[in-house]
Amino acid sequence: MSENKKKELFNSPVSRREILKAAGAASAAGMMGMMLPGISREAFAAPGGKPNIIFILSDNCNADFMGFMGHPFLKTPTLDRLAKEGIVFNRAFCTTGLCSPSRASFLTGMYPTTHGVKNNHTPWTGQKTIFMEYLKDAGYDTAFVGKFHLPGKGLPDLPFLDLFMSFTQKENQGSYYNCPLVVNGVETPSRKEYLIEETTDWALDFMNQGRENPFCLYLSYKTAHFPFLPPRDLAGIYEEEEVNLPKEVDSWLGRTNGNVFEGTMVGSIPALYRRYCEAITGMDREIGRVLNKIDEMGIGENTIVIYASDNGYMWGEHRIIGINWPYEESIKLPFIVRCPWLIDDPGTRRSQMVLNVDLAPTLLDIAGLPVPEDIEGESFIPFLKNGTAQGRKAWLFEYFKYFPENVPNIYGLRTETHKYFEFEKGLKPELYDLVVDPKEKRNLYGTAEGEALIPGMKAMLKELKAVKTM
Amino acid sequence: MEKRSFVKRFVNPILIVFVLMSISWIGYNLSWRLDNDTVHHLLADVFGTLLFLSITFGVIVVYSTAFFRGASLLERVIASFVNPVIWVIKEVFRMFTSFSVTESLYFALNPLVVWLILGIIAQMGLIEIICRWRLKKRGEKVRVFNVPAILAFALGIFLVIILYAWGRGENVFSFYLEMYRAIFGPGVGI
Repeated sequence: MSENKKKELFNSPVSRREILKAAGAASAAGMMGMMLPGISREAFAAPGGKPNIIFILSDNCNADFMGFMGHPFLKTPTLDRLAKEGIVFNRAFCTTGLCSPSRASFLTGMYPTTHGVKNNHTPWTGQKTIFMEYLKDAGYDTAFVGKFHLPGKGLPDLPFLDLFMSFTQKENQGSYYNCPLVVNGVETPSRKEYLIEETTDWALDFMNQGRENPFCLYLSYKTAHFPFLPPRDLAGIYEEEEVNLPKEVDSWLGRTNGNVFEGTMVGSIPALYRRYCEAITGMDREIGRVLNKIDEMGIGENTIVIYASDNGYMWGEHRIIGINWPYEESIKLPFIVRCPWLIDDPGTRRSQMVLNVDLAPTLLDIAGLPVPEDIEGESFIPFLKNGTAQGRKAWLFEYFKYFPENVPNIYGLRTETHKYFEFEKGLKPELYDLVVDPKEKRNLYGTAEGEALIPGMKAMLKELKAVKTM
Repeated sequence: MEKRSFVKRFVNPILIVFVLMSISWIGYNLSWRLDNDTVHHLLADVFGTLLFLSITFGVIVVYSTAFFRGASLLERVIASFVNPVIWVIKEVFRMFTSFSVTESLYFALNPLVVWLILGIIAQMGLIEIICRWRLKKRGEKVRVFNVPAILAFALGIFLVIILYAWGRGENVFSFYLEMYRAIFGPGVGI
């Protein structure tokens, strides 16, 4: 633990993390009942013992692209149901705007500088523990099904997984149609034409297995990564819909401004946008199959379901298509949690800032396990129970350049009201007041207002580089 | 055919397209700053289209103009590549914002540049045939179809199609990134 982190802990009231770690340790030692005033392990316990865990991860899904978020035409009845039966974190973020680093952060609870997958070229070497290994050791049946996409030759050997179904084609991106699979290290032909349906089939097969242990299913869909192909029966369902793109978008944007490598050279942006929505509707239908299976098995009351995306996606804001940049559309995630035994007010929103690095400690927490020292995220269980609990004040954003995307290294921070980031070279820093300027149109850097804020931002950024979140 | 001066047969054809390309680029990049959305989109459509045409098909103007002004084959070929190469150099400089010199130079080998070059080769072959046909129609004794022109057209078109058909271009891109990693690892300074 860094000196700064120790200083923060010792100089402030005992942190939530320390409380939960103590509770976890006590639980592991078999102590139940009141751990510390106001915090009870019994309060977290699932009714049937260790709960089942289903984490569903999508790809490049913008946080506003769900029916219940008010999208003008996109239909997502399953995600709407999940939001109604659970809670939605409306300020969930990835700590880096790139697929592989974000995915590694979900799996390890750590930042890219810690887990080592800094961009989509940096190989995963297994130097940090994936949270599912702890669950396996604690008696869980475990499965990873779908897009893994951590860089390296092929797929790693993960012996703590009872089922590891993924693919290595096209830099581990896979193909939407007729994608060859790798199942437990063995090349396996696909059983179905459409990968997303096949992914769900493997997930349902795993759930269906008779078992005595609780299970953890990490279900990772390729949707909605480019070329965002929907299932055949949904292709064209939004053909007639009007697409309202940001003002700065024009017909050639997908082929200029460095956007060419997003795959937008061919086709109009509105057409691609509609196809993106069709793909998400298709994925929503597949998630519906998973929820139906939970209902059919009668395990809903003892299963936590979490849905999130690895990154957001920009559709022309700031004249950018894609991810990489630290703007809200790129880093804000859809994040829904259904946990019947902890959430007393389903259908509501949570405004605490949660991060991709929080998933691992949360799932370990919910399983009653201690959270390892090197995990940098925080469990968000207290927010499930108490929607008004104090959340984090600020967190670090870090991005490492990824060829051929022309975005330099970035370090930045986001507080509840502001965002500040610095580029390694080539571009001037940016500072936004997110309360009055949520679309980040007005860079305050270089203005009188910005001059007053910058010293504090720089100091906070320096501290966050050490402690990551506060 | 009369052989014109070097400036008229080599430099001027290049300049015609270069000026068009430059004005289009500037016009396109200024258009979105206008408050009026209608004017923005109109100008973006016009300048964006002209920019695309000048980079991708400017060879039609350069090669044929050079041909009918008496430029040699070597002069025609070099002239046809000047503007696309200028564009690629501009892109390489753009990459200096984030990447090292060597990585930025490697960017010049990306699949889009490869397709552009192959497309230019194919067009040169086709234009050569068309220009010879026009000469013949004027009464000049010239063979319309010659082997280099046919080969350039056929091979260029074939490779453009095949490389795109191979996984809709994704496989070529994957190969390009594999080569990047073989040379640079995760990236210079990562």
